[in-house]
Amino acid sequence: MTDNRQPLLTVDHLVVTYGHIQALHGVSLQVAAGEAVAILGANGAGKSTLIRALVGWVIPAAGRVVYAGRDITHAPSWERTRLGLAVVPEGGRVFRDLSVEENLRLGAYLETNPARVAERMDYVYRLFPVLKERRRQIARTLSGGEQQMLAIGRAVMRGPQLLLVDEVSMGLAPLLVDAVFDALQQLKEEGVALLIVEQNAYETLRVVDRGYVLENGRIVLAGTASELRENPRVQMAYLGGG
Amino acid sequence: MTLWNILLDTLTQGSIYFLIAVGLTMVYGILKILHIAHAAVYTVGAGVGLAVFRLTGNFWAALAAAMVVSGAVGVLIYRGVYFYMLDQPRIVPLITSVGLFLLMQDLLQKPYLMGPYQHAFPAQDVFPSLTLPWGTVPSAQVMILVFTALTLGVLYGVFTRTRLGLAWQAAAMDRDMAGAVGVNLNRAIALNFLLGSALAGAAGVLVGVFYNSVYATMGDVPSYKAFVVIVLGGMGSVSGTVAASFLLALAETVLLSSVGYVLPRDAIAFLVLILVLMFRPQGLLGR
Repeated sequence: MTDNRQPLLTVDHLVVTYGHIQALHGVSLQVAAGEAVAILGANGAGKSTLIRALVGWVIPAAGRVVYAGRDITHAPSWERTRLGLAVVPEGGRVFRDLSVEENLRLGAYLETNPARVAERMDYVYRLFPVLKERRRQIARTLSGGEQQMLAIGRAVMRGPQLLLVDEVSMGLAPLLVDAVFDALQQLKEEGVALLIVEQNAYETLRVVDRGYVLENGRIVLAGTASELRENPRVQMAYLGGG
Repeated sequence: MTLWNILLDTLTQGSIYFLIAVGLTMVYGILKILHIAHAAVYTVGAGVGLAVFRLTGNFWAALAAAMVVSGAVGVLIYRGVYFYMLDQPRIVPLITSVGLFLLMQDLLQKPYLMGPYQHAFPAQDVFPSLTLPWGTVPSAQVMILVFTALTLGVLYGVFTRTRLGLAWQAAAMDRDMAGAVGVNLNRAIALNFLLGSALAGAAGVLVGVFYNSVYATMGDVPSYKAFVVIVLGGMGSVSGTVAASFLLALAETVLLSSVGYVLPRDAIAFLVLILVLMFRPQGLLGR
């Protein structure tokens, strides 16, 4: 763990409620520039709520989110994207009736330099060659795995400093899970910070530097990837027995 | 009625339906709000157009003023009212919209605005009438058809060739996600209202000139007929709205010319609506 890096994202005692139900009970965490961090947890632990609060889709009841020195707790999502955040949401949420290429163009919505857009599109097509083959295809006709790749590609088009990844392996065949995590690994090696929310702890701990375990809206455990991998509690709950 | 008359009537009525309904479709696409008050924006356009025409005698100035004021009123309705209801259940903005429509229409009937009268809109012969081998297109219809053709071209260009159009399409599919890729939703939605409302304002002027009549309750029939059109078109689909506008006009015209006035024209729209809801509830081009 390299703590000499500046924190890029600081989440400070974040509380999110839906009506009377509290989904996050004061979550605090940090992600440094270029660092890959996992949030592990079971269904309903509050992982997706955390991502939604970081993207700006829910407004927290209390606490703070600071990104690159700026308080973005209440900022609309497009301003967060402008600052360098991008998201691969749960289920991919590609723009269903648009082509693969149009989806990617929308990912680079804030990039006004056409040369850079073309460059990033080439990069995405190298990352996921199947997207290039299907660039004129309408997104809803892609397979689940291809839609996840498109969702990652769309986020990469932003050229983000921090990529939020929500349950990217859900519902994917094992071979595709490998391909998707290989792509995340490559992004990390190129200096993109990652915050990966996952149930699939095995693949995730392969890619990340550190991780947190979220249970019932609280962080109950934090450590490096190897510490978490060795932890009996993590092994029991998330790595399929001990 | 000759075939030529049926065709001309269909194209004219279809154009009017389209110009009114397209703004409703665009709003429904992004916000999923049934913006009934849109029909009052159409009346505002007719009123402003007539006022400016009386002052200047210039049709183009009247049309431009109607579009600007209607567009502004549309943006005001969004930022002043719907903006605060985006997270509410859909019934909330729907009821609000009905209330807003009644409020605006009642205001327009005040004596210091339009009063309870019909006003003539004597901007005749702005365009020359057009004589074709099959028949003549009267001046007012040339004006409506030219304006609609231009609008269709501009809308097609904006939706498919511009960044804003792509953002609108994306927001109609997944509003939150469009915000997360960087689309400033506040601005994109305001511009959506601006364009849709400006077109409704233009429709108000064109209809006013076509029937030589402008009055405060002229939005009554369009308020529900435009609703029929967007349901037929598949709720939020702009191309579906184009198809539905002209198909509805065709059905009305053919029925009226073959069967005669067994049913009032406006009842036919609902007959078509019921048939479509029975056999193709997703709309003509909807999925």
